[in-house]
Amino acid sequence: MPSGLSEPQFAALVDALAARPDEREQLTDLLREDHPLYDQRGAATTVRMRGWILLALARVGVSDTALLFVLDELDAGADPYLVAAAARALRSYPSPTAAFAPFVMRAIANIRYRDEPVCLDSYGEYAVASTGTSPVRELFVTLAWLGPHARGALREIEALREQRGRLSSKLLGDLDLALEAVRGAERVDALDTETCCKLPGGLRSMFSWTLGSRRSSEPIEATVFEDHDGAPITFKEFFRGHPSIVVFFYTRCDNPLKCSLTITKLARIHTLLEARGLYDRIQTAAITYDPAFDLPERLRGYGQARGVRLDACHRMLRATEGIAALGRHFRLGVNFIESLVNRHRIEVYILDAEGRIAGSFERIHWDEQQVVDRAVEVLVEKNEEKSEVAPHPPSVRSTVPPMFGTLASLGVAFFPKCPVCWAAYLSVFGIAGLEQIPYAPWLQPVLVAVMLISLTTVWLRARSTGRTGGLYLVGAGALAILASKTAPGWENAAVWGVALTLAGSLLSAVDAENGRPIFLRLRRITTRA
Amino acid sequence: MTKKRKRTKSSKSARKGASAVTRSARGALSVATNARKTVKQRVAAMAEAPTAVYADDASLQAMLGVLRNRDEPVKVRLAALQALQASSFSVVAFESCRGDYIAALRAVAQDPDPELRQRALGLLAREKDGFAQKKLLEGLRDPSKALVPPEKALQLLSYDVHAEAYPLARAIVSKPPNATAKREALRLLGADAASAPLFEKILRDKDEPPEIRQISAAALQALKPQKLQALAREIVLDTSEQDDIQATSLTALTQFGGDKMGADDEALLKRVDRLSGTASTKVKQSARRFLTKYGR
Repeated sequence: MPSGLSEPQFAALVDALAARPDEREQLTDLLREDHPLYDQRGAATTVRMRGWILLALARVGVSDTALLFVLDELDAGADPYLVAAAARALRSYPSPTAAFAPFVMRAIANIRYRDEPVCLDSYGEYAVASTGTSPVRELFVTLAWLGPHARGALREIEALREQRGRLSSKLLGDLDLALEAVRGAERVDALDTETCCKLPGGLRSMFSWTLGSRRSSEPIEATVFEDHDGAPITFKEFFRGHPSIVVFFYTRCDNPLKCSLTITKLARIHTLLEARGLYDRIQTAAITYDPAFDLPERLRGYGQARGVRLDACHRMLRATEGIAALGRHFRLGVNFIESLVNRHRIEVYILDAEGRIAGSFERIHWDEQQVVDRAVEVLVEKNEEKSEVAPHPPSVRSTVPPMFGTLASLGVAFFPKCPVCWAAYLSVFGIAGLEQIPYAPWLQPVLVAVMLISLTTVWLRARSTGRTGGLYLVGAGALAILASKTAPGWENAAVWGVALTLAGSLLSAVDAENGRPIFLRLRRITTRA
Repeated sequence: MTKKRKRTKSSKSARKGASAVTRSARGALSVATNARKTVKQRVAAMAEAPTAVYADDASLQAMLGVLRNRDEPVKVRLAALQALQASSFSVVAFESCRGDYIAALRAVAQDPDPELRQRALGLLAREKDGFAQKKLLEGLRDPSKALVPPEKALQLLSYDVHAEAYPLARAIVSKPPNATAKREALRLLGADAASAPLFEKILRDKDEPPEIRQISAAALQALKPQKLQALAREIVLDTSEQDDIQATSLTALTQFGGDKMGADDEALLKRVDRLSGTASTKVKQSARRFLTKYGR
């Protein structure tokens, strides 16, 4: 997707994507804040571009993947054009649900004192007459669309209506229509009460654990920060050794529902941590997107003004050599015009004691208690014996593949070359009815494939833990086994191959954090069971 | 009199008072929007009308009608604009009016009268209005489309750091249409971290006018305070420097230099001591404040 498009070209691109059903999902991708299309665009330009995408989605229908962006805008948006576009887009979702009502009501509260006429018909135009639509109007129309699904917000809506003289007469008409629809004739029981207040599918929780292996923090361990006192510290020095809660912000953010609120919530996190006796065991860091401008004194002032506690374990940081490396590592939802942020999402990360990203909250407003709870889970996984809370059971998934691979390697190494050997094997194990178990030569390539899968698993584990000893041993073992099968004179290598594979598998499965052998973990699993 | 009766009496009085004000404001609005009254009468009435603007839709529309109407005298339209602006300070009460108000401002931003245009754009720029920013930027890129002078456009764009004005401001600094525009461009760039080297260069340049160098010093203080401290020291030690800049540098060292800085710098202290006795009045005063802080 070319990034140097003019605005008219961009609008034409969006219209073209909207017109082609098989390319509509690309529209959602264009809403990513870090999309190259927004690079070096000003904030107002970014608003126009994003608004046009939302309006295109409003025409073609909002999918589940796009829904998150729409709700994000309603939840914390402060721009009238974007909020209006999001409100309109929401109405194109296949079906209304009660879970949307709080977002719509929040958007009304956010934007009502910044209501202004907007032009949603053509790209880049601004309304100079008040006869068109506005974000509040679009939100009222969306309330009407929700109808009885918004009944949970009925009192709030009625309170809006009762505020005399606050809404213009034009908006009162739309509000009355919304009220009528919400009060509706349908019985609440008839609605999907089982799914009441539940967001669709993957949106139910805005928190996500890092799936699979946690990426090593090695690429950014040498990143040098300057904290709120001007003291230098590297990523490794600060983030290794304790789980951390990391938020991103910048002092020149003009959306009070984003950065300012994020830092204010960080102050509350400190209170929650202290109440649980964890203030010194879980660290926090607020990292600025704008390190060139957010000098230490500014960081300190911004944090203190919002009640943040600042000390050795809880810091506000700027990356002295720029934000690019951090942006790549965290996959930050932010873009810039020169060094100035043009748009960013709300994002909070939980790092484990190795500085690896264990989980993240993105977009929709996060709850401080939830963040602390998640951080405690990560703390507990580090200190399983000391924690008062039952830790997560060690992942069996992480131990099975290496052992399974060993068995597969054994199978390959000692697979019989002929049916006679096959019979001999089975007789060793005293199996009666040998004639009923046919020789299965197809099993050998299957075992080879399993052995290779195991090797791949060990490789992935080595990548995530940074420990490659197991990988080398398993690799050498696999080569030895294959050589024993293919190279004349190398038959005895099979035994060495199996031994190397077994050793490598065990080494790979050892607990990376405290070096405790795998059999101790397995014993705990069985004990707890 | 019981407390309850006193409370009832005072709230009744307050309501009476409020009603009186409202009646007065409505009366003023009626005069202000009456084309048969003189300009002087109408302008005077406008000053009392703000609270009537959000009383009801008809009042709002009447005032907006005066503002939008190009046939009305400019003075009356300016007074209407001022009344609406005053009214908008009551954010909650003005809620029902805001949409129409913004639309009217955008229309007036393209008015034939330059003062009205400038005032309307100024109000919109303070709201970080995208329409206003777009128009101001267009005018800087293409002077034939300019609605206000470039220095005014830069000043208005500086209300929002996200206004995409930095590249244009840099271009104006290197090729200014006039001295005022250059000054405003530099002020705008005072929030641009990437412009710190530019400010350092200007501050060092003795051929630049003092005002421009002072703006650069202020910008450096915001962007690279340690660099300013170092430069300020050099300037104070430089016997060929301009008085204004020496005074500014001494002030920077005094205000932002840190408690121990001056005390350990014998060469600087000696120089400032000499300046406190022999330099111009402005420099002497700044030098004495410096010495007071650092214990001499």
